[in-house]
Amino acid sequence: MPLTEANTEQFMDENLAVFAGLLRQEGLPVGTTEMIDALLALQKIDLSSRDAFKTALQATLVKSRRDQLVFSRLFDLFFVPAEQHRHRAEETILRQEEFTRQLDRANLELHFKGESLQLSSRELKQYSALSAEQRNRLQDFVQKTETGNKVEAEFRPILETIVKSHLRYCRNRDEQESRNVDGTNNADGAGTGSGGDEYLREVDIAMIAAADMPAAEQLLKRLSRKLAFQILRRRRSGPRSGPLDLRRSLRDNMRYGGIIFNLKHKPKRRSKQQILLLCDVSASMKGYSTFVIHFLHGLHEVVRELSCFSFSDSLEDLTAELKGRANVNQLLDRVIRRSKTWGGGTDIAAALRIIREKHPERLNAKTTVLVVSDTKTVTLNKAVQELQKLKDQVKRVIWLNPLPTERWADYHSVAMMADLVEMWPCSTIDQLEEVLSGQL
Amino acid sequence: MTIPLDELRKSFEQVGYICDENTVLTVFLALDLQKPLLIEGAPGVGKTEMGKVLAEIMKTELIRLQCYEGLDETKALYEWNYQRQLLRIQMNRALEEEQIHEEDLFSDQYLLERPLLKAIRSEMTAVLLIDEVDKCDPEFEAFLFEVLSDFQVSIPELGTIPAKKIPVVVLTSNNERELSDGLKRRCLYLYLDFPDVEKEVQIIKAKVPGIAERLAWETARVVARLRQQSDLRKKPSIAETLDWARALVSLNRSRIDGKLVADTLNLLLKTRADQQIFRQEVGVDGIDQVLARGGNGGEIYGCR
Repeated sequence: MPLTEANTEQFMDENLAVFAGLLRQEGLPVGTTEMIDALLALQKIDLSSRDAFKTALQATLVKSRRDQLVFSRLFDLFFVPAEQHRHRAEETILRQEEFTRQLDRANLELHFKGESLQLSSRELKQYSALSAEQRNRLQDFVQKTETGNKVEAEFRPILETIVKSHLRYCRNRDEQESRNVDGTNNADGAGTGSGGDEYLREVDIAMIAAADMPAAEQLLKRLSRKLAFQILRRRRSGPRSGPLDLRRSLRDNMRYGGIIFNLKHKPKRRSKQQILLLCDVSASMKGYSTFVIHFLHGLHEVVRELSCFSFSDSLEDLTAELKGRANVNQLLDRVIRRSKTWGGGTDIAAALRIIREKHPERLNAKTTVLVVSDTKTVTLNKAVQELQKLKDQVKRVIWLNPLPTERWADYHSVAMMADLVEMWPCSTIDQLEEVLSGQL
Repeated sequence: MTIPLDELRKSFEQVGYICDENTVLTVFLALDLQKPLLIEGAPGVGKTEMGKVLAEIMKTELIRLQCYEGLDETKALYEWNYQRQLLRIQMNRALEEEQIHEEDLFSDQYLLERPLLKAIRSEMTAVLLIDEVDKCDPEFEAFLFEVLSDFQVSIPELGTIPAKKIPVVVLTSNNERELSDGLKRRCLYLYLDFPDVEKEVQIIKAKVPGIAERLAWETARVVARLRQQSDLRKKPSIAETLDWARALVSLNRSRIDGKLVADTLNLLLKTRADQQIFRQEVGVDGIDQVLARGGNGGEIYGCR
């Protein structure tokens, strides 16, 4: 239907409402206030300018840099020029048949326990657009999951979520690459210094492709610095910190005839934390552990002591290797090549026992122990006993579990460990940041 | 206070604040809709400068509230002058004057105005710059809600004080911690990134008078190359670019080469680790290559 002056406003409101819905689906907190602001802003600008229209919506609907990237992508997909819109409509009819074929093929390729995964047509389309290598990788993942231990039919929704998340990640990455190739990043206000790696935050760490690792490491480094700054801030004493200093208060208020209205406080004393990191580096876990080590490496300057151990069927002390300002990548490479524990089986009980017996000096009332593991171990009961002993010796034990929380109920080991210590999910960089910044 | 878009654009140019259309339009909307403007971005991209520039454009007072951990309402909003109140009580007692009433003690006379109250009670539209809001405590952030949404403050002894003239509020954040949704919801949002080469040349020419065209382009290109180095702890900001450009002018240099960059690196990279990264990852040859790719004219030195 051709647009006229009379119905433009109505279309605008409706389109905006649909667009806001899409933004909400992508996690942007677009509420009524933002919508009212957006509509008011649109009254103030020249609507014939697409850039002005985009800027007005961006200023009112977006509240963070991360959201800005999502907004920009959705805006470019949703608000297309009229000419392009017509052209697209013609193309859509032609593509319909091709699309149906792709859909059938995708349904055949992505199945679990004899049935196709419940993916939206858009997601199936994204899947079809992947390279043969990427499609094979995803099929392998689905197949391996299907044949894994304790994987029941109920696991379907979790698998679907992981596949969807991966498809979203691939889409974001492709867009990022095309932006880099085009050099069009400036159009979105991104200049020469912005980090374009934000899309990696929500991807399961195990699914991050090798090509994205440098970007992911940069992101971790940035987040690590942010965390170090937060810890440093918390340690600084504020003006009202510390207990009341009665002596100084009395002395200071003598000039007011003994009436005390200027209270003096003692400086707050806070000692630096000691962190002991215990990373499961068995075959299924090493990706996650590497990320945690990366993240914590930047904290050397703000924690009193950072000890790092890797374990699978035995235990290895990485502290000396990882200390200092050396390049963490090179060190990790060297450690992994030389290590006996990297990629082996898992014996949590043995690891915890060796820590207690051989490194008692690292366990005291100031130590926070971070365990990165999916809890799968050969001797569960012994492991639980050892964990209890460890817990009694230190300030607190925080368990970072890369298994999706939906699957925790499937594992007896998770329930037993979670009964004893605090357990947090850490399968994505976002989750890792959330737990470390909240708990350290 | 509303300033027409074209006029605002011209005013930014006149005061030497070089920015893109996206920035001008967002500021225009913030002024027109009377909403606070939250500006995020890396240090040194011109966030604080925006507040100063707006005050200059609007020919009004800039009221600045520098945020830090532990900042509370006694530093930000108001405080009673306790010493003066006490003196008044003591004087009354000594002179055996008639009994003093509580409302006499809690009057304007004994009120110490802090930036927020000053902005609210200002007779003319002031620019209130709440700088580095991410450094204040979450409690204080919540305290700002009333000022930012209703442009009023509540003082228990005096009641609610609405703004005489709604101030232009600019909040800046280095994104060192996530701000609350409540605060963000009350603001329009602007992300300022480092400028592209072309914009930075304009900034250099505006702020470093007398700099040769070629030197300005080469300066901007070298800085842009350094900013591409994503592992730098602190990328060179616009202020550092300008310092460096001024230094080059005072050294009477008309061209830049890798050796000159290495010799004057202290002005651009402020930590030893970053300088190490420069030497390992970029080096003198890397800079020479970047400069060799450019030509003499601006079009060849374009931003892509």
